[in-house]
Amino acid sequence: MTNADIQTVLPEVLLAAYAMLALMFGVYTTKDKVAPLLVWVTSAVLAVLGLWILTGGGGDVAAFGGMIVNDAFARFAKVVILFSAAAVLLMSEGYMAKRGLLRFEYPLLVALAVVGMMVMVSAGDLMALYMGLELQSLALYVVAALRRDSVKSTEAGLKYFVLGALSSGLLLYGASLVYGFAGTTLFTGIIAAVGEGQAPLGLLFGLVFVIAGMAFKVSAAPFHMWTPDVYEGSPTPVTAFFATAPKMAAMGLFARVVHDAFGGVVGDWQQIVAFLAVASMFLGGIAAIGQRNIKRLMAYSSISHMGFALMGLAAGTAFGVQAMLVYMAIYVTMNIGVFAFILAMERDGAPVVRIDELGGYSKREPLRALAMLVLLFSLAGVPPLVGFFGKFYVLRAAMDAGMTWLAIAAVIAAVINAFYYLRIVFLMYFGEDAEAMDSGISPVLWGFLMASAAIMVVGIINLFGVEAIAATAAAALVN
Amino acid sequence: MDDIVRDYLPILIFLSLAIGLGIVLILAAVIVAVRNPDPEKVSAYECGFNAFDDARMKFDVRFYLVSILFIIFDLEIAMLFPWAVSFQYLGDTGFWSMMVFLGVLTIGFAYEWKKGALEWE
Amino acid sequence: MATIILFAPLLGALIGGLGWRVIGEPAAQWITTGLLFLAAILSWVIFLTLGPETEHIQILRWIESGSLSTDWAIRLDRLTSIMLVVITTVSALVHLYSFGYMGHDENFGEGEGSEYKARFFAYLSFFTFAMLCLVTADNLVQMFFGWEGVGLASYLLIGFYYKKPSANAAAIKAFVVNRIGDFGFALGIFALYLLTDSIRFDDIFAATPELAQTSIRFLWTDWNAAELTAFLLFIGAMGKSAQFFLHTWLPDAMEGPTPVSALIHAATMVTAGVFLVCRFSPLMEFAPYTQTFIVIIGATTAFFAATVGLVQNDIKRVIAYSTCSQLGYMFVAAGVGVYSVAMFHLLTHAFFKAMLFLGAGSVIHAMHHEQDMRNYGGLKDKIPLTFWAMLIGTLAITGVGIPLTHYGFAGFLSKDAIIESAFAGGTNAASFAFWALVIAAAMTSFYSWRLMFMTFWGEARGDMHAHGHAHESPRSMLAPLGVLAVGSVLAGMIWVGPFFGDHAEVEEFFGIPHAEGAEAHAGLGGPELMFGAALAATEAEGDDHGDKAAVDPENLPVQPGEGAIYMHPSNHTLDDAHHAPKWVKVSPFIAMLLGFGIALSMYMRGVPVLAKLGLGALGAVVLFVAKVPLALAILGGVVLAAIFLLTRFGMNETLAANQAPLYRFFLNKWYFDEIYDATFVRGAKWLGRFLWKKGDGMVIDGTINGVAMEIVPFFTRLAGRAQSGYMFHYAAAMVLGIVIFITWMTLWGGQ
Repeated sequence: MTNADIQTVLPEVLLAAYAMLALMFGVYTTKDKVAPLLVWVTSAVLAVLGLWILTGGGGDVAAFGGMIVNDAFARFAKVVILFSAAAVLLMSEGYMAKRGLLRFEYPLLVALAVVGMMVMVSAGDLMALYMGLELQSLALYVVAALRRDSVKSTEAGLKYFVLGALSSGLLLYGASLVYGFAGTTLFTGIIAAVGEGQAPLGLLFGLVFVIAGMAFKVSAAPFHMWTPDVYEGSPTPVTAFFATAPKMAAMGLFARVVHDAFGGVVGDWQQIVAFLAVASMFLGGIAAIGQRNIKRLMAYSSISHMGFALMGLAAGTAFGVQAMLVYMAIYVTMNIGVFAFILAMERDGAPVVRIDELGGYSKREPLRALAMLVLLFSLAGVPPLVGFFGKFYVLRAAMDAGMTWLAIAAVIAAVINAFYYLRIVFLMYFGEDAEAMDSGISPVLWGFLMASAAIMVVGIINLFGVEAIAATAAAALVN
Repeated sequence: MDDIVRDYLPILIFLSLAIGLGIVLILAAVIVAVRNPDPEKVSAYECGFNAFDDARMKFDVRFYLVSILFIIFDLEIAMLFPWAVSFQYLGDTGFWSMMVFLGVLTIGFAYEWKKGALEWE
Repeated sequence: MATIILFAPLLGALIGGLGWRVIGEPAAQWITTGLLFLAAILSWVIFLTLGPETEHIQILRWIESGSLSTDWAIRLDRLTSIMLVVITTVSALVHLYSFGYMGHDENFGEGEGSEYKARFFAYLSFFTFAMLCLVTADNLVQMFFGWEGVGLASYLLIGFYYKKPSANAAAIKAFVVNRIGDFGFALGIFALYLLTDSIRFDDIFAATPELAQTSIRFLWTDWNAAELTAFLLFIGAMGKSAQFFLHTWLPDAMEGPTPVSALIHAATMVTAGVFLVCRFSPLMEFAPYTQTFIVIIGATTAFFAATVGLVQNDIKRVIAYSTCSQLGYMFVAAGVGVYSVAMFHLLTHAFFKAMLFLGAGSVIHAMHHEQDMRNYGGLKDKIPLTFWAMLIGTLAITGVGIPLTHYGFAGFLSKDAIIESAFAGGTNAASFAFWALVIAAAMTSFYSWRLMFMTFWGEARGDMHAHGHAHESPRSMLAPLGVLAVGSVLAGMIWVGPFFGDHAEVEEFFGIPHAEGAEAHAGLGGPELMFGAALAATEAEGDDHGDKAAVDPENLPVQPGEGAIYMHPSNHTLDDAHHAPKWVKVSPFIAMLLGFGIALSMYMRGVPVLAKLGLGALGAVVLFVAKVPLALAILGGVVLAAIFLLTRFGMNETLAANQAPLYRFFLNKWYFDEIYDATFVRGAKWLGRFLWKKGDGMVIDGTINGVAMEIVPFFTRLAGRAQSGYMFHYAAAMVLGIVIFITWMTLWGGQ
């Protein structure tokens, strides 16, 4: 163990150290009274780390004998994770405080989950992968059940925990199969054992199980079933968190495993990933149509979006990974805005989740309705908003890879998906007037909502340069 | 790959022995034991009276807490033992790694202590 | 200057159409009219000062796409300048006329939405702009733009009385029938672009000799490229100029206000087809079969429309069929290769036909929008000025003049020129055309005079109340009539030389560079030339195509496209026409006399026997002067007189009763509408209904609705049910996924 190794994982170490110190600080001082402070400080720490990684650069470094890899791909994913986590954390303060949920552990659990995610996307070894995954998951299980006195919240936490354990089991089983056939847990060793084109079937079985475990984390159909229940049951800020950073981490991990460890047998996993993509797109879209609860709706929406992102991955090319990264960055940005809107949906201080209640919203809150309209259009992929470019990228990736059928299916799915987004718009603008909601909105939420909507419009110019960064990141992953 | 499989051969033997023994014992009971049931034999025998309610009763959550804590420190010991045994080969890296691990564990312990998880009442 | 002419009407249309709410209706009317008069004056200036060179005035770079590169430019040559004069003059006069005619209209009630005048003037101006685009076009696409623009304007104006179902139906009919022609035109454009890789006229004209030797595959067989493209372009011309088979829309177009009929459906738009053929004279000259086709179609139209015109009772329809017929004349001229004569007739026809329409409008206006001639009669004294104008128009269209001289009304000179050219054409088709045109001339004379007699002479018929209130039209309506009357009288005499003089004069007028060979031909005369014509005729009957194509493109005395029109070195029709026998030259006059006499006898009560005899004698004299043997001349005069004497007043009704099938055949326009209705319209409607109800309604809507409202919700419910909330269901789904993947891998993995 050298200093260089420590240096490579310094952001993770610092964040973990901060989390533990803050834990001690919180528990030995005034406990929950310092929670607001901790939220802000944690957000600041996350954002600073994000900025540091963003501006730090650095090459393709492997630490601890290859167990941790710090390359452009990992950095891209980490920046997205850190910033989105910081944003969601900030947004959650008001909501949590109002409902007495703002315990000081909450920001620290988020921070620890983020540590896990950072390890996930940097993993160069099945062990490190599992470590990161479990660290993330355990923290998330707890925050899902944060509202202990609510049956739904505890149910959500429990379901998430049990099914997560099942998926972890699948993943572990797959990992052990891979280890059994490859003789090593290092990705560099696995890819050598896999070879080019002709891999032993046992290894591929191992791959299937690992993919299944990761598909659970990205909530791709048919491993998505936990998603709606957990999204609905968790406190809304937690839902917002689920919909953003962990998705990016899981997608990053997914890309990392299939390319770094199984890059030699693209043809084998491509079909499976494509199947996951199509199933997710269609299932997410079709099931969302039946939803009236906006949190469940967003759950299906995220399932469907994961399908689109997986389509980029299914292309099996560097451009596909680039498209996936761009798509995820856009997706996370959109979701932050949408959840900022949802968090502000209150009547008499109680949260409102039924979309019917949005009837006539545009008359009372024209600006917020407009921002939401932009975001929903962007989610639906209506040109010329940024969301369209995300879809366009993954479609092109699939086309370039010769998967025309996948692209066609995606277009059809996009049409189905557009329906429920547009229905919300319809309700806001033409729906029957519902009882008025509280007009107040915290400046933080307002800011995130407007910024996100503005990005959807302004970003069409050059996507803020994300494209080029994603290209570098993809190049680091796919050789 | 053969080497690895050979390394795991003892485990395989152990597994098959364990399963085999278990099956043999169960089957032996089925085959050998004399079965001659009558009402007195099959009726409840719990200090002479019937069970009050279902055996699947709720436990106090504190039992879980204690058991979880037990598992954690149990694992700590499980980690420490091989570490201690091979300590002479490990060097600084091994030492500090365990120190960090213990430190993290200590922080967790301090947290739950302060939170009051160890107080029964 | 040309740019101003082109854009003044557009400006007027924009101001009048969009800005009238700001500036008010009267101002909009005055602005559009004023701008049109400005354009008209400038057009005359251009017409009178035009140099021999073809000018290209670039307005903007238009299309740059691959090898297609074109400007928006004005091509200013003699053809363009003639059309400019015709269009802007008639248009300006029609604008002025509309002040009076459209002054009150009960089709648009009071109050909201009753402001129609500004809209009308804007449409008129827009039409003028589109028409100018068409004639100033420098390339095919620009021309097509104008072509469709006038189609649109025509549609809007025919359907101007949008509250009348019949007007809407007529507008749709005009639009749809024109589409057929436009389709041919568009195909022609595509073909020309394919063959020459350019849409500029200059490039295409220069390439025509080559095209004549190229063949192109189209539909099921190979065609000569020049023939095919010329034919396709002519299809377009047929639609726009209401030629036989595609003529049915023109009479119905009379549903539009009368000024519109005068402007669009008499003077300008319908002549666009003739203009197109003349513009493409370099191509037509290399397409002899198409020329033959044009001659046949033109002659048939002239004959057919005249027969229908004989029996119509609606004053505007009579003139409409007359227009149709006259357009046939023009096409015959173009088809036999004397484009200058076609343009000549186009010019004179614009004057007298516009005047006839405007005169008819004046009558209709006086009679409170009564259009049936059977309800007219004796209006001579009530509306004297209109009567005189109509009389001049009738004299012009029937071709009154002094035979064998160049003195006569406009129609006399131009129509006779066409008939002579048809005779000189020499081919079988041209001979057919000659006789068809002579007979049509007699019928033209008949129906024109019939119109006059029924309207202005005799006793008043029909609603006496209307007759009692009949009044002369306001000055704004009479002034245009006066201007056009002058044109109708003088246009022929002034321009007969440039259009139908000897070869050199025509070439100079149309800016064709002087050619040695051509001059030599012009110098020839007498029997030699007759021989030459006969030779040409035999050649034409034999292998005309080979004769023309055989000319080496390098050695052509005049390169195609250098002048406004192009006449192939082997095209001597113009010269031959001058040397036609004299009986040919007087034949239209005799025909006119015949038609006039019959109409006179039939529709005028108590015509003196002496007058009839006098007419017969006049015929005999004319024939004699034309060097017909004396005996034949006297016989001719006697026959004429006998016909007139045998024809009695009111015989039209007896004839209609005796010859009922023929009468109904004519009255129903040869049953064209019925035939089309039975074949195309019903078929198309059936197909449309089928595609709508079954194709669109059931298949497309059904599929979309089925997917959107049945299948997707079904799966939505299914997905909802799968989301049961039970964890073991969720776990089962995951296991199921694993099973699928493992199966997949087992079967297809590791390849």
